[in-house]
Amino acid sequence: MVDHILRLKLALLASAFRPGGALARTAGVLLLAGSVGAAMIWLSSEVDVTLAAHRAAIVIIATAVSIGIAVAPLSAGLGSALEPRRFSAFPIPPRELALGLGAAAAIGLPGLLAALLGISLERAWAGEPTAAAAVVGGVLGAITVVIVSQYLVVVGDQLSVSTAARRTVTAVARTVIAVALASAVATVLLVVADDGTEQLIDTAAVLANTPMGMLWAAPGDDGAPMVARLLAGLLMVVVLALGWGAIVARLLESPQRTRADAPRSSLGWFDLVPATPSGVIAARSLLYWTSDPRYRFVLLGLPLAPVVMMLAFAVAGAPLPPLWLLPLPVLALFLGWFSHNDVAYDHSAVWLHVAAPFRGASDRWGRAVPPLLIGVPVILAVAPLFALWSGVDEVLPALIGTSLGLLLTGLGVSSVSSAIGAYPAARPGAGPFDQPPSLEARAGWSQALSLLAILMFMGPTFVLVWWGFDDEQWFAVAGIAGSATGVGMLLLGILAGGRAFRRRAPELLDLMLRT
Amino acid sequence: MLTVTGLRKSFGQSLAVNDVDLQVRKGSVFGFVGPNGAGKTTTLSMVTGLLRPDAGTVSVAGADVWRDPTTAKRSIGVLPDRMRLFDRLTGAQMLYYCAVLHGIDRETARSRTDDLATALGLDGSLDRPVRDYSIGMVKKVSLAAALIHSPTVLVLDEPFESVDPVSTAQAVELLKRFAAAGGTVVLSSHNMNLVERVCDSVAVIVGGRILAAGTLDEVRGAQSLEDRFVELAGGRVAVEGLEWLTTFSD
Repeated sequence: MVDHILRLKLALLASAFRPGGALARTAGVLLLAGSVGAAMIWLSSEVDVTLAAHRAAIVIIATAVSIGIAVAPLSAGLGSALEPRRFSAFPIPPRELALGLGAAAAIGLPGLLAALLGISLERAWAGEPTAAAAVVGGVLGAITVVIVSQYLVVVGDQLSVSTAARRTVTAVARTVIAVALASAVATVLLVVADDGTEQLIDTAAVLANTPMGMLWAAPGDDGAPMVARLLAGLLMVVVLALGWGAIVARLLESPQRTRADAPRSSLGWFDLVPATPSGVIAARSLLYWTSDPRYRFVLLGLPLAPVVMMLAFAVAGAPLPPLWLLPLPVLALFLGWFSHNDVAYDHSAVWLHVAAPFRGASDRWGRAVPPLLIGVPVILAVAPLFALWSGVDEVLPALIGTSLGLLLTGLGVSSVSSAIGAYPAARPGAGPFDQPPSLEARAGWSQALSLLAILMFMGPTFVLVWWGFDDEQWFAVAGIAGSATGVGMLLLGILAGGRAFRRRAPELLDLMLRT
Repeated sequence: MLTVTGLRKSFGQSLAVNDVDLQVRKGSVFGFVGPNGAGKTTTLSMVTGLLRPDAGTVSVAGADVWRDPTTAKRSIGVLPDRMRLFDRLTGAQMLYYCAVLHGIDRETARSRTDDLATALGLDGSLDRPVRDYSIGMVKKVSLAAALIHSPTVLVLDEPFESVDPVSTAQAVELLKRFAAAGGTVVLSSHNMNLVERVCDSVAVIVGGRILAAGTLDEVRGAQSLEDRFVELAGGRVAVEGLEWLTTFSD
């Protein structure tokens, strides 16, 4: 049985190297782990254990790194973690399962790093009188880290009662790793700079008396304290191992915790919107924007886009300050344009809209609400900042007007294009990068034409902005023109799109059913 | 109550529905039966305004479904086959959504949701997202969604597929009460026993054509509906050439 679980673990590890999106992540994780491992080995040869500061640094760094390694399995998300309860459906004796899972935990990056940590401790103390204690301490320490990581996986899995909780667990684990590594690096820097070493020694003394640090501190003392720490460490390992067996046995018997039921009366977003077709469609859209990966990808990409753009400009050596005017309009354009195929994201569920007797414009309004709710506040909040950084005088109204104009015009154009130019999109439940089974040429046309239409309608505003760089007064005019264009095009688009949607509803449904 | 004349639809070369005429009386439960691929779903989609016919008219409660869709759709409740729901919504949100799309106000929508949940055995499941439901549960929620705006005509495509016997009995009871009060039900099914038990009139469609229509007794004559159906659908084909199936490997 143990070798079965080990084989499963190896298969899981191998799956990280399959070609695809996960490969980049694997490479990143390997790079980080490799650097940590290499740094530990290198430090172990550089360190001089005759110096008090260095001894303190060993304790602090080893403690920090061991905490980081222990939470590492949680940081990858619990998807691939070998959690005992997943095996509850199989007839495996709990003792064998506990042993198998423990052994499996030792294989893989956290196990390897724990072993390297132990080896580093031994290397640091090699040739000293207490080298033997370092060997024992290193081995016990590595085992402790591996077992504790298994405890944490169980705890993490217990906490992950909902998607949000699961993400929180992952995020907390990643933060802990970052803080642990940062404190290790800071310790190295302090020792190298020979600054604040007394605090380091104090900290190490405290850590040496805690379960987290006692094994790493064991070689630092002679005689009784050393023996006491090693014995305490041994006891800790034994208790942890026995406890692990008991926990696995118990988990296999106890039922899974599930999400607590929401109070009966709550309908979420639906309670906050008016009970009209456009109201409920807006609520439904909001729910999808916040929970469907195909939409959420956009939400996550939005804050990154300006950063990436400005970095690219900086690398290319462009004159930076005025370029701060670019990210916001680009973001607004993208947000408005993103809805140009919104109906296709519903897939055949759009029959609910086809079968109900409400006006097409209500459908269009509802769908425009999430991007408006996201885009307008962002533009109003961020524009003053970007305008200030750009160093261009009086540019704020133009920046706000252009961005609002692009967003609203984009939504207007999208209202029409998602009714007349719909093309197959990733199905519900798919990831943001999944492509539909068949991507026709119309997809390209629809994307290009809707984008072109937005830019064309906003053309006059762009010209006014251009003039503004010669004469500041045009900036204010451009702001008004952009906002007016946006409002006008949004209203027009929703009316025209609503008519088109009603007229073409059966054909839209037919298109969705055929893909 | 529901009149269909000369309905026709082709997909490419194949004629899926060929000159279908149907008459469904007010207050009747009408069974629409046919073998796989006979055109049941296509016909019902055209009747409910989900699929545009090539020719023919559909009128529901006096309103033409394709000329005056808004009026017609107000009186139709639809349960289509093999179409998605917005499955990230919970069952309760889903029913509320459907109700409001049909112009029902907040309070009525909430109280009808509770009534339907009790009547169809959905209590306790309405706060889970629809994507977590079993197929039978999805059918039950869809049936509730079709009923929530109190339509006068219900068009149900395979409403009892994968639904457990207890819930089926509950739903049948509900449909019979609905018809007795003057509502009209059109349902398609493969289950002849169920159709015999529930429906008072039937139509048999094979290869896109109506081969028989009328009251249950007119259509089945002296036979059981199942025998009559098999006869209309081309009779039982003698099973030959499957000898390997009866010579077991060990």
